[in-house]
Amino acid sequence: MPLPVQRDVKEIEVILNQILGTRCPPVARLRLLSSGFGTAHSLNIAENLSGHKECLGCGNCVDICPFLSREPYRRQRTEQRTSMALESTVGEDCDLCHACVLVCPQVDTTIKHYIVNHRLVEVMSRLEERLGDVDEPDLDLFLEEAIS
Amino acid sequence: MDFELPEELKMIQKLARDFVTDRLRPLERDLLGRAADQSDARAALPAEKEAELTALVREMGLWGVGVPEELGGAGLDTLGACLVEEELSRTVVPFHFGDVTPFLFDGSQMQRERYLQPALSGAKRPLVALLEPGNTGDPAAVRLKARRDGDDYVLNGRKLSFSRPGDDYFALVFAATEAGLTAFLVDKDTPGFTLRGGGERRGWLAPLREPLELAFRNCREMAENVLGEAGKALELGKKWLPARRVIRAARCVGVARRLLEEATAAAQSLESFGQSVYKKANIRAALAEIAAYVRAARLMVYEAAWQADKGELIARQAALVRLYATQAVQTIADRVSHVFGGPPYLAGQPMARLCQRALADGAVELSLERQRHVVARDIIQGAGD
Repeated sequence: MPLPVQRDVKEIEVILNQILGTRCPPVARLRLLSSGFGTAHSLNIAENLSGHKECLGCGNCVDICPFLSREPYRRQRTEQRTSMALESTVGEDCDLCHACVLVCPQVDTTIKHYIVNHRLVEVMSRLEERLGDVDEPDLDLFLEEAIS
Repeated sequence: MDFELPEELKMIQKLARDFVTDRLRPLERDLLGRAADQSDARAALPAEKEAELTALVREMGLWGVGVPEELGGAGLDTLGACLVEEELSRTVVPFHFGDVTPFLFDGSQMQRERYLQPALSGAKRPLVALLEPGNTGDPAAVRLKARRDGDDYVLNGRKLSFSRPGDDYFALVFAATEAGLTAFLVDKDTPGFTLRGGGERRGWLAPLREPLELAFRNCREMAENVLGEAGKALELGKKWLPARRVIRAARCVGVARRLLEEATAAAQSLESFGQSVYKKANIRAALAEIAAYVRAARLMVYEAAWQADKGELIARQAALVRLYATQAVQTIADRVSHVFGGPPYLAGQPMARLCQRALADGAVELSLERQRHVVARDIIQGAGD
Protein backbone atom coordinates (compact mmCIF):
# COMPACT_ATOMS: atom_id res chain seq x y z
CA MET A 1 0.00 0.00 0.00
CA PRO A 2 2.73 2.45 -0.89
CA LEU A 3 2.47 6.13 -1.78
CA PRO A 4 1.38 7.19 -5.29
CA VAL A 5 4.83 8.59 -6.01
CA GLN A 6 7.12 5.66 -5.48
CA ARG A 7 10.84 5.11 -5.29
CA ASP A 8 12.70 5.57 -8.60
CA VAL A 9 14.64 2.33 -9.07
CA LYS A 10 17.42 4.13 -10.95
CA GLU A 11 18.32 5.91 -7.68
CA ILE A 12 18.71 2.69 -5.74
CA GLU A 13 19.74 0.21 -8.42
CA VAL A 14 23.17 -0.52 -6.98
CA ILE A 15 22.02 -1.17 -3.41
CA LEU A 16 18.97 -2.99 -4.75
CA ASN A 17 21.14 -5.44 -6.67
CA GLN A 18 23.36 -5.91 -3.65
CA ILE A 19 20.35 -6.76 -1.50
CA LEU A 20 18.86 -9.07 -4.12
CA GLY A 21 22.20 -10.84 -4.50
CA THR A 22 22.65 -11.41 -0.75
CA ARG A 23 21.52 -14.80 0.49
CA CYS A 24 18.89 -13.64 2.96
CA PRO A 25 15.18 -12.84 2.51
CA PRO A 26 15.26 -9.35 0.99
CA VAL A 27 11.73 -8.25 1.81
CA ALA A 28 12.44 -6.28 4.99
CA ARG A 29 15.25 -4.25 3.46
CA LEU A 30 13.29 -3.53 0.31
CA ARG A 31 10.34 -2.44 2.43
CA LEU A 32 12.61 0.15 4.02
CA LEU A 33 13.75 1.30 0.57
CA SER A 34 10.11 1.79 -0.47
CA SER A 35 8.00 4.91 -0.14
CA GLY A 36 5.96 3.75 2.86
CA PHE A 37 2.30 3.49 3.83
CA GLY A 38 -0.09 5.45 1.58
CA THR A 39 -2.73 7.84 2.96
CA ALA A 40 -5.51 6.26 0.88
CA HIS A 41 -5.22 3.11 2.96
CA SER A 42 -4.99 4.57 6.46
CA LEU A 43 -7.99 4.24 8.76
CA ASN A 44 -9.40 7.27 10.46
CA ILE A 45 -8.87 5.91 13.91
CA ALA A 46 -5.39 7.06 14.73
CA GLU A 47 -2.77 9.58 13.71
CA ASN A 48 -1.86 9.93 10.06
CA LEU A 49 0.35 6.99 9.16
CA SER A 50 1.36 8.21 5.71
CA GLY A 51 4.91 7.38 4.72
CA HIS A 52 5.53 4.89 7.50
CA LYS A 53 7.50 1.84 6.49
CA GLU A 54 6.80 -0.64 9.28
CA CYS A 55 6.05 -4.29 8.63
CA LEU A 56 2.28 -4.77 8.84
CA GLY A 57 2.63 -8.32 10.09
CA CYS A 58 0.33 -9.67 7.39
CA GLY A 59 2.37 -12.87 7.13
CA ASN A 60 2.27 -13.04 3.34
CA CYS A 61 6.04 -13.42 3.10
CA VAL A 62 6.12 -16.21 5.67
CA ASP A 63 3.32 -18.05 3.90
CA ILE A 64 4.84 -17.85 0.42
CA CYS A 65 8.42 -18.70 1.35
CA PRO A 66 9.32 -21.98 -0.45
CA PHE A 67 12.05 -22.74 2.05
CA LEU A 68 9.65 -22.59 5.01
CA SER A 69 7.24 -24.79 3.04
CA ARG A 70 9.97 -27.38 2.67
CA GLU A 71 11.08 -27.12 6.28
CA PRO A 72 7.97 -26.05 8.22
CA TYR A 73 9.48 -26.92 11.61
CA ARG A 74 11.50 -23.72 11.35
CA ARG A 75 8.29 -21.78 11.83
CA GLN A 76 8.12 -23.14 15.35
CA ARG A 77 10.99 -20.91 16.35
CA THR A 78 8.63 -17.96 16.61
CA GLU A 79 4.95 -17.15 16.49
CA GLN A 80 5.62 -13.86 14.73
CA ARG A 81 4.62 -13.55 11.09
CA THR A 82 6.70 -10.54 10.20
CA SER A 83 9.51 -9.96 7.73
CA MET A 84 11.94 -9.91 10.65
CA ALA A 85 10.71 -13.36 11.67
CA LEU A 86 11.24 -14.50 8.08
CA GLU A 87 14.82 -13.23 8.15
CA SER A 88 15.61 -14.97 11.41
CA THR A 89 13.98 -18.29 10.49
CA VAL A 90 15.28 -18.56 6.93
CA GLY A 91 18.53 -16.60 7.11
CA GLU A 92 21.22 -17.76 4.72
CA ASP A 93 19.15 -20.71 3.50
CA CYS A 94 17.11 -18.30 1.35
CA ASP A 95 16.41 -19.59 -2.19
CA LEU A 96 16.57 -16.02 -3.55
CA CYS A 97 13.25 -16.55 -5.32
CA HIS A 98 12.17 -13.02 -4.28
CA ALA A 99 8.57 -14.20 -3.84
CA CYS A 100 8.46 -12.54 -0.40
CA VAL A 101 9.11 -9.17 -1.99
CA LEU A 102 6.39 -9.61 -4.59
CA VAL A 103 3.71 -10.40 -1.98
CA CYS A 104 4.65 -7.68 0.51
CA PRO A 105 2.05 -4.90 0.49
CA GLN A 106 4.60 -2.39 1.74
CA VAL A 107 7.15 -2.76 -1.08
CA ASP A 108 6.88 -0.27 -3.94
CA THR A 109 5.54 -1.52 -7.26
CA THR A 110 8.52 0.06 -9.00
CA ILE A 111 10.82 -2.29 -7.09
CA LYS A 112 8.56 -5.27 -7.84
CA HIS A 113 8.62 -4.40 -11.54
CA TYR A 114 12.38 -4.26 -11.47
CA ILE A 115 12.59 -7.72 -9.89
CA VAL A 116 10.11 -9.21 -12.36
CA ASN A 117 11.92 -7.71 -15.34
CA HIS A 118 15.49 -8.32 -14.30
CA ARG A 119 15.79 -11.04 -11.69
CA LEU A 120 13.23 -13.78 -12.25
CA VAL A 121 13.61 -16.89 -14.40
CA GLU A 122 10.28 -15.93 -15.94
CA VAL A 123 12.11 -13.26 -17.94
CA MET A 124 13.87 -15.97 -19.91
CA SER A 125 11.49 -15.48 -22.83
CA ARG A 126 12.66 -11.88 -23.02
CA LEU A 127 16.23 -13.01 -22.99
CA GLU A 128 15.33 -15.16 -25.96
CA GLU A 129 13.97 -12.11 -27.74
CA ARG A 130 17.22 -10.35 -27.02
CA LEU A 131 19.13 -13.34 -28.27
CA GLY A 132 17.47 -13.03 -31.65
CA ASP A 133 18.16 -15.06 -34.72
CA VAL A 134 21.08 -17.29 -35.62
CA ASP A 135 22.44 -14.71 -38.03
CA GLU A 136 22.44 -11.88 -35.53
CA PRO A 137 25.75 -11.15 -33.86
CA ASP A 138 26.16 -12.77 -30.45
CA LEU A 139 26.87 -9.76 -28.26
CA ASP A 140 28.14 -11.97 -25.46
CA LEU A 141 31.07 -12.95 -27.64
CA PHE A 142 32.01 -9.27 -27.71
CA LEU A 143 31.45 -8.93 -24.00
CA GLU A 144 33.61 -11.96 -23.24
CA GLU A 145 36.32 -10.65 -25.52
CA ALA A 146 36.25 -7.27 -23.79
CA ILE A 147 36.55 -8.59 -20.24
CA SER A 148 38.82 -11.60 -20.66
CA MET B 1 36.33 -42.89 -33.92
CA ASP B 2 39.84 -41.95 -32.90
CA PHE B 3 40.40 -39.99 -29.71
CA GLU B 4 44.16 -39.92 -30.15
CA LEU B 5 45.69 -36.46 -30.61
CA PRO B 6 47.87 -36.09 -33.73
CA GLU B 7 51.62 -36.38 -33.05
CA GLU B 8 52.22 -32.70 -33.87
CA LEU B 9 49.62 -31.56 -31.33
CA LYS B 10 50.95 -33.94 -28.70
CA MET B 11 54.34 -32.34 -29.17
CA ILE B 12 52.89 -28.83 -28.81
CA GLN B 13 50.99 -29.92 -25.71
CA LYS B 14 54.18 -31.31 -24.18
CA LEU B 15 56.13 -28.16 -25.01
CA ALA B 16 53.48 -26.00 -23.35
CA ARG B 17 53.22 -28.35 -20.36
CA ASP B 18 56.97 -28.37 -19.80
CA PHE B 19 57.10 -24.60 -20.17
CA VAL B 20 54.43 -24.16 -17.52
CA THR B 21 55.99 -26.71 -15.16
CA ASP B 22 59.60 -25.60 -15.56
CA ARG B 23 59.28 -21.86 -16.18
CA LEU B 24 55.99 -20.50 -14.88
CA ARG B 25 55.11 -22.52 -11.82
CA PRO B 26 58.40 -21.77 -10.04
CA LEU B 27 57.43 -18.07 -10.33
CA GLU B 28 54.17 -18.53 -8.47
CA ARG B 29 55.72 -17.90 -5.06
CA ASP B 30 57.17 -14.55 -6.20
CA LEU B 31 53.84 -13.52 -7.65
CA LEU B 32 51.79 -14.52 -4.61
CA GLY B 33 54.25 -12.81 -2.27
CA ARG B 34 56.70 -14.17 0.24
CA ALA B 35 55.89 -11.80 3.09
CA ALA B 36 53.50 -13.05 5.79
CA ASP B 37 51.11 -10.15 5.13
CA GLN B 38 51.41 -10.62 1.34
CA SER B 39 52.59 -7.02 1.01
CA ASP B 40 54.86 -8.06 -1.87
CA ALA B 41 52.18 -9.93 -3.84
CA ARG B 42 51.66 -8.71 -7.38
CA ALA B 43 49.29 -9.23 -10.28
CA ALA B 44 51.76 -9.66 -13.13
CA LEU B 45 55.35 -10.61 -13.73
CA PRO B 46 58.03 -7.90 -13.94
CA ALA B 47 58.52 -6.61 -17.51
CA GLU B 48 62.06 -8.01 -17.86
CA LYS B 49 60.95 -11.49 -16.75
CA GLU B 50 58.07 -11.37 -19.18
CA ALA B 51 60.42 -10.38 -22.01
CA GLU B 52 62.73 -13.28 -21.14
CA LEU B 53 59.83 -15.78 -21.20
CA THR B 54 58.46 -14.29 -24.43
CA ALA B 55 61.84 -14.83 -26.11
CA LEU B 56 61.77 -18.47 -25.01
CA VAL B 57 58.29 -19.00 -26.45
CA ARG B 58 59.38 -17.40 -29.72
CA GLU B 59 62.28 -19.83 -29.87
CA MET B 60 59.82 -22.66 -29.40
CA GLY B 61 57.86 -21.29 -32.38
CA LEU B 62 54.65 -21.00 -30.39
CA TRP B 63 54.29 -17.23 -30.20
CA GLY B 64 50.92 -16.06 -31.49
CA VAL B 65 49.12 -19.40 -31.10
CA GLY B 66 45.68 -18.08 -31.97
CA VAL B 67 46.86 -15.76 -34.72
CA PRO B 68 46.71 -17.01 -38.34
CA GLU B 69 50.04 -17.65 -40.01
CA GLU B 70 49.43 -15.10 -42.78
CA LEU B 71 49.09 -12.42 -40.07
CA GLY B 72 52.38 -13.35 -38.45
CA GLY B 73 51.20 -15.81 -35.81
CA ALA B 74 51.99 -19.46 -35.16
CA GLY B 75 48.82 -20.37 -37.05
CA LEU B 76 47.74 -23.16 -34.71
CA ASP B 77 44.24 -24.47 -35.26
CA THR B 78 41.56 -24.23 -32.55
CA LEU B 79 42.45 -27.61 -31.02
CA GLY B 80 46.11 -26.62 -30.78
CA ALA B 81 45.20 -23.28 -29.20
CA CYS B 82 42.93 -25.09 -26.72
CA LEU B 83 45.74 -27.46 -25.71
CA VAL B 84 48.10 -24.55 -25.12
CA GLU B 85 45.52 -22.50 -23.18
CA GLU B 86 44.64 -25.50 -21.04
CA GLU B 87 48.27 -25.92 -20.04
CA LEU B 88 48.78 -22.18 -19.44
CA SER B 89 45.78 -22.13 -17.09
CA ARG B 90 47.41 -24.69 -14.82
CA THR B 91 49.34 -21.89 -13.20
CA VAL B 92 48.27 -18.67 -11.52
CA VAL B 93 51.07 -16.80 -13.32
CA PRO B 94 49.36 -14.64 -15.97
CA PHE B 95 51.21 -15.31 -19.19
CA HIS B 96 50.08 -15.96 -22.74
CA PHE B 97 51.64 -17.17 -25.97
CA GLY B 98 50.99 -14.01 -28.01
CA ASP B 99 47.25 -13.77 -27.57
CA VAL B 100 45.77 -10.94 -29.67
CA THR B 101 42.11 -9.99 -29.89
CA PRO B 102 40.70 -11.21 -33.23
CA PHE B 103 38.97 -7.86 -33.75
CA LEU B 104 42.30 -6.72 -35.16
CA PHE B 105 42.46 -9.51 -37.75
CA ASP B 106 39.85 -7.68 -39.85
CA GLY B 107 41.93 -4.50 -40.24
CA SER B 108 43.25 -3.09 -43.50
CA GLN B 109 46.85 -3.74 -44.57
CA MET B 110 47.92 -0.42 -43.06
CA GLN B 111 46.10 -1.19 -39.79
CA ARG B 112 47.68 -4.62 -39.61
CA GLU B 113 51.12 -3.08 -39.90
CA ARG B 114 50.46 -0.20 -37.50
CA TYR B 115 48.41 -2.01 -34.87
CA LEU B 116 48.20 -5.81 -35.22
CA GLN B 117 51.94 -6.43 -35.65
CA PRO B 118 53.01 -4.25 -32.68
CA ALA B 119 50.24 -5.87 -30.60
CA LEU B 120 51.49 -9.32 -31.55
CA SER B 121 55.10 -8.44 -30.84
CA GLY B 122 54.14 -6.95 -27.48
CA ALA B 123 55.42 -3.48 -28.40
CA LYS B 124 51.95 -1.98 -28.04
CA ARG B 125 49.05 -3.18 -25.96
CA PRO B 126 45.55 -3.02 -27.42
CA LEU B 127 42.95 -1.72 -24.93
CA VAL B 128 39.58 -3.14 -25.94
CA ALA B 129 37.10 -0.41 -24.97
CA LEU B 130 33.60 -1.77 -25.37
CA LEU B 131 31.96 -1.13 -22.02
CA GLU B 132 31.09 2.27 -20.56
CA PRO B 133 30.66 3.64 -17.05
CA GLY B 134 27.09 2.89 -16.00
CA ASN B 135 26.57 0.48 -18.87
CA THR B 136 28.47 -2.73 -18.41
CA GLY B 137 25.73 -5.17 -19.37
CA ASP B 138 24.63 -4.25 -22.87
CA PRO B 139 27.45 -3.81 -25.37
CA ALA B 140 25.05 -2.65 -28.08
CA ALA B 141 23.77 0.37 -26.12
CA VAL B 142 26.88 2.48 -26.65
CA ARG B 143 26.71 6.10 -25.55
CA LEU B 144 30.12 7.29 -26.78
CA LYS B 145 29.38 9.31 -29.90
CA ALA B 146 31.55 9.68 -32.98
CA ARG B 147 30.33 12.60 -35.08
CA ARG B 148 31.34 12.83 -38.73
CA ASP B 149 33.18 16.06 -39.49
CA GLY B 150 34.44 16.22 -43.08
CA ASP B 151 36.76 13.27 -43.60
CA ASP B 152 37.27 12.80 -39.87
CA TYR B 153 35.27 11.62 -36.89
CA VAL B 154 35.10 13.48 -33.57
CA LEU B 155 34.80 11.22 -30.52
CA ASN B 156 33.21 12.37 -27.27
CA GLY B 157 32.47 10.22 -24.25
CA ARG B 158 33.98 7.76 -21.80
CA LYS B 159 34.85 4.08 -21.96
CA LEU B 160 36.03 1.30 -19.66
CA SER B 161 38.63 -1.28 -20.59
CA PHE B 162 39.67 -4.42 -18.74
CA SER B 163 42.77 -4.91 -20.90
CA ARG B 164 46.15 -4.83 -19.25
CA PRO B 165 47.87 -1.47 -19.72
CA GLY B 166 51.47 -1.05 -20.84
CA ASP B 167 53.92 1.75 -21.63
CA ASP B 168 52.75 1.98 -25.20
CA TYR B 169 49.19 1.26 -26.17
CA PHE B 170 46.31 2.02 -28.48
CA ALA B 171 42.59 1.84 -27.85
CA LEU B 172 40.06 -0.16 -29.83
CA VAL B 173 36.99 1.97 -29.23
CA PHE B 174 33.41 1.03 -30.05
CA ALA B 175 31.44 4.21 -30.77
CA ALA B 176 27.97 5.09 -31.99
CA THR B 177 27.95 6.81 -35.39
CA GLU B 178 25.12 7.70 -37.76
CA ALA B 179 25.87 4.48 -39.65
CA GLY B 180 25.66 2.37 -36.47
CA LEU B 181 28.22 0.86 -34.10
CA THR B 182 31.72 1.56 -35.43
CA ALA B 183 35.15 0.50 -34.13
CA PHE B 184 38.04 3.00 -34.10
CA LEU B 185 41.73 2.52 -33.50
CA VAL B 186 42.94 5.42 -31.36
CA ASP B 187 46.66 5.95 -30.78
CA LYS B 188 48.03 6.72 -27.33
CA ASP B 189 49.10 10.25 -28.24
CA THR B 190 45.93 11.32 -30.06
CA PRO B 191 44.88 14.78 -28.75
CA GLY B 192 41.70 14.56 -26.68
CA PHE B 193 42.35 10.95 -25.57
CA THR B 194 43.27 10.42 -21.93
CA LEU B 195 43.70 7.27 -19.87
CA ARG B 196 43.23 6.92 -16.12
CA GLY B 197 44.05 4.00 -13.83
CA GLY B 198 46.19 0.98 -14.52
CA GLY B 199 48.85 1.55 -11.87
CA GLU B 200 50.31 -1.64 -10.50
CA ARG B 201 48.84 -2.81 -7.23
CA ARG B 202 50.89 -4.61 -4.64
CA GLY B 203 49.78 -6.64 -1.66
CA TRP B 204 46.75 -8.78 -1.12
CA LEU B 205 44.61 -6.60 -3.37
CA ALA B 206 46.97 -7.22 -6.30
CA PRO B 207 44.82 -9.75 -8.18
CA LEU B 208 41.77 -7.50 -8.13
CA ARG B 209 41.17 -6.02 -11.54
CA GLU B 210 39.97 -2.47 -11.89
CA PRO B 211 38.94 -1.18 -15.28
CA LEU B 212 40.93 1.50 -17.04
CA GLU B 213 38.98 4.68 -17.69
CA LEU B 214 39.35 6.09 -21.17
CA ALA B 215 38.09 9.62 -21.79
CA PHE B 216 37.57 11.16 -25.24
CA ARG B 217 37.04 14.87 -25.50
CA ASN B 218 36.75 16.22 -29.04
CA CYS B 219 39.15 13.48 -30.03
CA ARG B 220 39.64 13.69 -33.81
CA GLU B 221 40.14 10.42 -35.68
CA MET B 222 40.78 9.97 -39.38
CA ALA B 223 38.34 7.78 -41.30
CA GLU B 224 41.24 5.45 -42.17
CA ASN B 225 41.37 4.46 -38.50
CA VAL B 226 37.93 2.90 -38.66
CA LEU B 227 38.40 -0.82 -38.11
CA GLY B 228 36.44 -2.81 -40.67
CA GLU B 229 33.52 -0.90 -42.13
CA ALA B 230 31.74 2.04 -40.52
CA GLY B 231 28.55 0.87 -38.82
CA LYS B 232 29.58 -2.78 -38.96
CA ALA B 233 31.58 -3.19 -35.80
CA LEU B 234 29.52 -6.22 -34.80
CA GLU B 235 30.82 -8.04 -37.86
CA LEU B 236 34.39 -7.83 -36.58
CA GLY B 237 36.14 -11.09 -35.80
CA LYS B 238 33.02 -13.02 -36.80
CA LYS B 239 35.09 -15.85 -38.16
CA TRP B 240 37.18 -16.30 -35.02
CA LEU B 241 35.00 -15.32 -32.04
CA PRO B 242 32.99 -18.58 -31.63
CA ALA B 243 36.25 -20.55 -31.53
CA ARG B 244 37.55 -18.14 -28.89
CA ARG B 245 34.66 -19.18 -26.67
CA VAL B 246 35.86 -22.79 -26.90
CA ILE B 247 39.40 -21.66 -26.09
CA ARG B 248 38.11 -19.85 -23.00
CA ALA B 249 36.38 -23.06 -21.94
CA ALA B 250 39.76 -24.78 -22.31
CA ARG B 251 41.07 -22.30 -19.71
CA CYS B 252 38.38 -23.57 -17.31
CA VAL B 253 39.60 -27.11 -17.93
CA GLY B 254 43.17 -26.05 -17.10
CA VAL B 255 42.05 -24.43 -13.83
CA ALA B 256 39.99 -27.53 -13.01
CA ARG B 257 42.97 -29.82 -13.59
CA ARG B 258 45.11 -27.77 -11.28
CA LEU B 259 42.38 -27.79 -8.62
CA LEU B 260 42.31 -31.59 -8.86
CA GLU B 261 46.10 -31.68 -8.54
CA GLU B 262 46.02 -29.48 -5.42
CA ALA B 263 43.13 -31.43 -3.92
CA THR B 264 44.95 -34.72 -4.47
CA ALA B 265 48.10 -33.39 -2.83
CA ALA B 266 46.05 -32.14 0.11
CA ALA B 267 44.17 -35.43 0.45
CA GLN B 268 47.49 -37.30 0.61
CA SER B 269 49.12 -34.97 3.12
CA LEU B 270 46.28 -34.03 5.50
CA GLU B 271 45.39 -36.21 8.45
CA SER B 272 42.29 -36.25 10.56
CA PHE B 273 41.42 -38.50 13.52
CA GLY B 274 44.75 -40.28 13.05
CA GLN B 275 44.01 -41.26 9.49
CA SER B 276 45.05 -39.82 6.12
CA VAL B 277 42.04 -38.03 4.71
CA TYR B 278 42.33 -39.77 1.34
CA LYS B 279 41.20 -42.96 3.05
CA LYS B 280 37.82 -41.46 3.84
CA ALA B 281 34.98 -42.39 1.56
CA ASN B 282 33.63 -38.87 1.04
CA ILE B 283 37.07 -37.54 0.10
CA ARG B 284 37.50 -40.34 -2.43
CA ALA B 285 34.04 -39.54 -3.79
CA ALA B 286 34.96 -35.86 -4.08
CA LEU B 287 38.18 -36.66 -5.97
CA ALA B 288 36.39 -39.07 -8.30
CA GLU B 289 33.66 -36.55 -9.06
CA ILE B 290 36.19 -33.80 -9.75
CA ALA B 291 38.04 -36.13 -12.12
CA ALA B 292 34.78 -36.97 -13.92
CA TYR B 293 33.97 -33.27 -14.37
CA VAL B 294 37.46 -32.54 -15.68
CA ARG B 295 37.30 -35.42 -18.11
CA ALA B 296 33.87 -34.52 -19.44
CA ALA B 297 34.69 -30.83 -19.84
CA ARG B 298 37.94 -31.69 -21.56
CA LEU B 299 36.32 -34.02 -24.07
CA MET B 300 33.64 -31.44 -24.83
CA VAL B 301 36.29 -28.80 -25.45
CA TYR B 302 38.29 -31.07 -27.73
CA GLU B 303 35.23 -32.13 -29.70
CA ALA B 304 34.07 -28.54 -30.26
CA ALA B 305 37.59 -27.50 -31.25
CA TRP B 306 37.81 -30.41 -33.67
CA GLN B 307 34.50 -29.38 -35.24
CA ALA B 308 35.67 -25.76 -35.51
CA ASP B 309 38.80 -26.93 -37.29
CA LYS B 310 36.66 -28.86 -39.76
CA GLY B 311 35.05 -25.54 -40.67
CA GLU B 312 31.66 -26.38 -39.17
CA LEU B 313 29.40 -23.82 -37.53
CA ILE B 314 30.00 -24.21 -33.82
CA ALA B 315 27.81 -21.55 -32.22
CA ARG B 316 25.81 -24.20 -30.38
CA GLN B 317 28.77 -26.41 -29.46
CA ALA B 318 30.65 -23.37 -28.19
CA ALA B 319 27.66 -22.38 -26.06
CA LEU B 320 27.36 -25.93 -24.67
CA VAL B 321 31.04 -26.14 -23.87
CA ARG B 322 31.15 -22.78 -22.17
CA LEU B 323 28.06 -23.54 -20.15
CA TYR B 324 29.35 -26.89 -18.97
CA ALA B 325 32.98 -25.95 -18.38
CA THR B 326 32.07 -22.81 -16.42
CA GLN B 327 29.65 -24.67 -14.20
CA ALA B 328 32.01 -27.62 -13.81
CA VAL B 329 34.90 -25.48 -12.60
CA GLN B 330 32.65 -23.83 -10.01
CA THR B 331 31.36 -27.17 -8.77
CA ILE B 332 34.94 -28.41 -8.59
CA ALA B 333 36.05 -25.36 -6.59
CA ASP B 334 33.21 -26.15 -4.21
CA ARG B 335 34.00 -29.89 -4.08
CA VAL B 336 37.66 -29.12 -3.34
CA SER B 337 36.52 -27.49 -0.11
CA HIS B 338 35.18 -30.88 0.97
CA VAL B 339 38.66 -32.33 0.60
CA PHE B 340 40.13 -29.49 2.64
CA GLY B 341 37.37 -29.74 5.23
CA GLY B 342 36.62 -26.05 4.98
CA PRO B 343 37.52 -23.06 2.85
CA PRO B 344 39.88 -24.56 0.30
CA TYR B 345 42.57 -21.96 0.53
CA LEU B 346 44.78 -19.99 2.78
CA ALA B 347 45.51 -16.46 1.68
CA GLY B 348 48.68 -16.35 -0.37
CA GLN B 349 48.44 -19.90 -1.69
CA PRO B 350 47.87 -20.65 -5.41
CA MET B 351 44.55 -22.20 -4.45
CA ALA B 352 43.17 -18.78 -3.51
CA ARG B 353 43.67 -17.37 -6.99
CA LEU B 354 42.50 -20.56 -8.69
CA CYS B 355 39.23 -20.44 -6.80
CA GLN B 356 38.86 -16.73 -7.52
CA ARG B 357 39.24 -17.53 -11.21
CA ALA B 358 36.73 -20.34 -10.98
CA LEU B 359 34.20 -17.95 -9.48
CA ALA B 360 35.05 -15.12 -11.87
CA ASP B 361 34.34 -17.38 -14.83
CA GLY B 362 30.75 -17.67 -13.75
CA ALA B 363 30.34 -14.03 -12.86
CA VAL B 364 28.54 -13.35 -16.09
CA GLU B 365 25.43 -15.23 -15.00
CA LEU B 366 23.26 -13.55 -17.62
CA SER B 367 25.71 -14.65 -20.27
CA LEU B 368 25.39 -18.27 -19.11
CA GLU B 369 21.63 -17.88 -19.28
CA ARG B 370 21.99 -16.92 -22.92
CA GLN B 371 24.25 -19.88 -23.63
CA ARG B 372 21.38 -22.04 -22.38
CA HIS B 373 19.11 -20.31 -24.82
CA VAL B 374 21.42 -20.83 -27.78
CA VAL B 375 21.35 -24.54 -27.01
CA ALA B 376 17.59 -24.62 -26.29
CA ARG B 377 16.80 -22.77 -29.51
CA ASP B 378 18.64 -25.38 -31.55
CA ILE B 379 16.92 -28.24 -29.75
CA ILE B 380 13.49 -26.68 -30.31
CA GLN B 381 14.30 -26.09 -33.95
CA GLY B 382 14.87 -29.80 -34.29
CA ALA B 383 18.65 -29.98 -34.26
CA GLY B 384 18.46 -33.06 -32.01
CA ASP B 385 20.78 -33.57 -29.05
